[in-house]
Amino acid sequence: MSNEQTAWEKVANMLRSRSLWMLYYCTGCGAIELPPTMTARFDMERFGIGPMATPRQADILLVTGYLSTKTLRRVVYSYEQMQAPKYIVGFGSCTLNGGIYYDSYATINRLDLYIPVDLYLAGCMPRPEAIVTGFNELMKKIDRGEATGWKNYQENHEWYRKNQIDALGEVYVHDEFHE
Amino acid sequence: MIITILSAITLLVVAFCYTVTLEGLARKIEARIQRRYGPPFWQNFIDIFKGLTKHSISHGFIFDFGVLMALGGTIATVLFIPAGSIVVFPGLDNVFVVIYLLAIGLLGMAMSAVGSGNPNASIGIGRALTQMLGYELPFMIVLLGVFFHYRTSSLSELVELQISGGSYNAWIMPIGAIVAFISLMGMLGKKPFDTFIAPAEIASGPLVEYSGKYLGMLLIQHAFATFIEIGLFVNLFLGGGRTLWEFLLKFFLVYFLAVIISSIMPRFRVEQAVKFYWKWPLILSFAQVVIVVFAMGR
Amino acid sequence: MNSTNDMLDGIMSVIGQFDFSQVKERLFSLTIEKSRLISLLELLRQSGFSHLSLITGIDRIAEEKFEVAYTLFSWQSGVTVMTSVFTDRIDPVLPTIMEVWPVARFYERDVHEFFGIVFDGNPDLRPLILENWDGIPPMRKDFDSLKYSKEHFPDREYRADFLAEGSDGDE
Repeated sequence: MSNEQTAWEKVANMLRSRSLWMLYYCTGCGAIELPPTMTARFDMERFGIGPMATPRQADILLVTGYLSTKTLRRVVYSYEQMQAPKYIVGFGSCTLNGGIYYDSYATINRLDLYIPVDLYLAGCMPRPEAIVTGFNELMKKIDRGEATGWKNYQENHEWYRKNQIDALGEVYVHDEFHE
Repeated sequence: MIITILSAITLLVVAFCYTVTLEGLARKIEARIQRRYGPPFWQNFIDIFKGLTKHSISHGFIFDFGVLMALGGTIATVLFIPAGSIVVFPGLDNVFVVIYLLAIGLLGMAMSAVGSGNPNASIGIGRALTQMLGYELPFMIVLLGVFFHYRTSSLSELVELQISGGSYNAWIMPIGAIVAFISLMGMLGKKPFDTFIAPAEIASGPLVEYSGKYLGMLLIQHAFATFIEIGLFVNLFLGGGRTLWEFLLKFFLVYFLAVIISSIMPRFRVEQAVKFYWKWPLILSFAQVVIVVFAMGR
Repeated sequence: MNSTNDMLDGIMSVIGQFDFSQVKERLFSLTIEKSRLISLLELLRQSGFSHLSLITGIDRIAEEKFEVAYTLFSWQSGVTVMTSVFTDRIDPVLPTIMEVWPVARFYERDVHEFFGIVFDGNPDLRPLILENWDGIPPMRKDFDSLKYSKEHFPDREYRADFLAEGSDGDE
């Protein structure tokens, strides 16, 4: 992860860090701290962060809580539909080390074995002030050129794929309705 | 020839910078109405340029071509709007040419949205074209009243006649101006008529499969389309402007009014929007035309 | 409260012949053998308990039996009746109640996945919630969830073992 950036990359990273569009993939209970952060009191739009409804146009995938195997498959599917450069923020302690569901038979314990995470926000749940501080940290990290999770995923794809198949069996989403 | 090219380039640059700044300012105004700080007013420039630096995925030839057709058609239409003292093609700017060319933008987006294969996009485009049926009808009837009154349909002549006649169309035919403003809000896609974008319902409607550079190009096309529509309204009803600054000031006032009204309203469903347009605005536009034809002199 | 008395009388006439107990004012529970289950449920359904709220399983490991509870609700009188059936812990088989309520298909799929009870006559006993599963049915009391989690989902290694240190300090 070299930190030298060409002038073009510096400009591009500055542009990307000031206009982050977030895909609110509200998987677990952490999603309840997002509406207060977005609305008038802890306004998040002043940093340029806005909501975006489709994975094709989003920059950040926000994974807000525990992930069962069923949801993990869809998260990997959505992550691969996003366009580079893309960042993942792991929200809450369930993505760090399993949180309060560390001994559950259906939830995963470490998110960054399956998709590359750029920033973790610890807490159960993190308060909106913590979320805003975390996003400022992410913006500075993008400016310095250190948030290269997407390059990591492309280079070490076999390792990530092996972990995903160990946990999930296969990563293809079967459509029970049409089959 | 050189003057035409120079004025064309100036008009494009002015239209782009001014409209994108105003869109950023609109976000700030909406934020202040909701009692919070908003993004800085150059935020939309950053959004467009960030979109142009991302990688993108294509879905085939029709997908690419539709986007190019939309952007190209809209840029061509911008050149026909007189902006104060910058008139690129004097004598050739007819209102019907502008309205005809406006359809190319929407058709281009429809083509590429269908080419992407996502059902959300088809639903969004269907709604957009249905809404167009709604707002075009009262707008055209009011325009017919305006043409009848001045016996001309060329944009720059209408501007000259309003300036030399001393009073703008908005004071001569106020009902028509109000109906045209309501149609303008439908054209721009502002609430309460933004059902075809509808981010929470159909995942951004026609924009759902665009990524990276396509999105940047479509945002630029949206900015130019806003300039065309509001520019049309300002030239027809508020007398254009003798200089560029007067034109830009009136542009700002109309946009400001549209933003304030739209930031406090919810969203109509598409059949509610069409029913609304075909009730009171249609009746008022007919009343306006009757007044113009029979009761006013000239 | 005449209407409540009338209502309770009506319900007594239906379930009075069985071995029932009144848990609360509008909550009754009864136990039945598995051979008379479908006829009892059909009878209850025709006397006003038209809503099947839940089918759930309970693991009575001390008595080595599985208990399956069917919760029925009547919208006219607001009374809930919970019917329990006991079956063996080894090779548990129960008749399906899909002829009485077709929606029981999904509840029985759920109970089959988590307890291992086979419902005779249900054509669709695929897994509903878990994916990529290779252990015993997880809601049984002899299933060790921590061991399964440590085997399948790797943990994050820290330099110190916080759980062990924390519990030592609590003494």
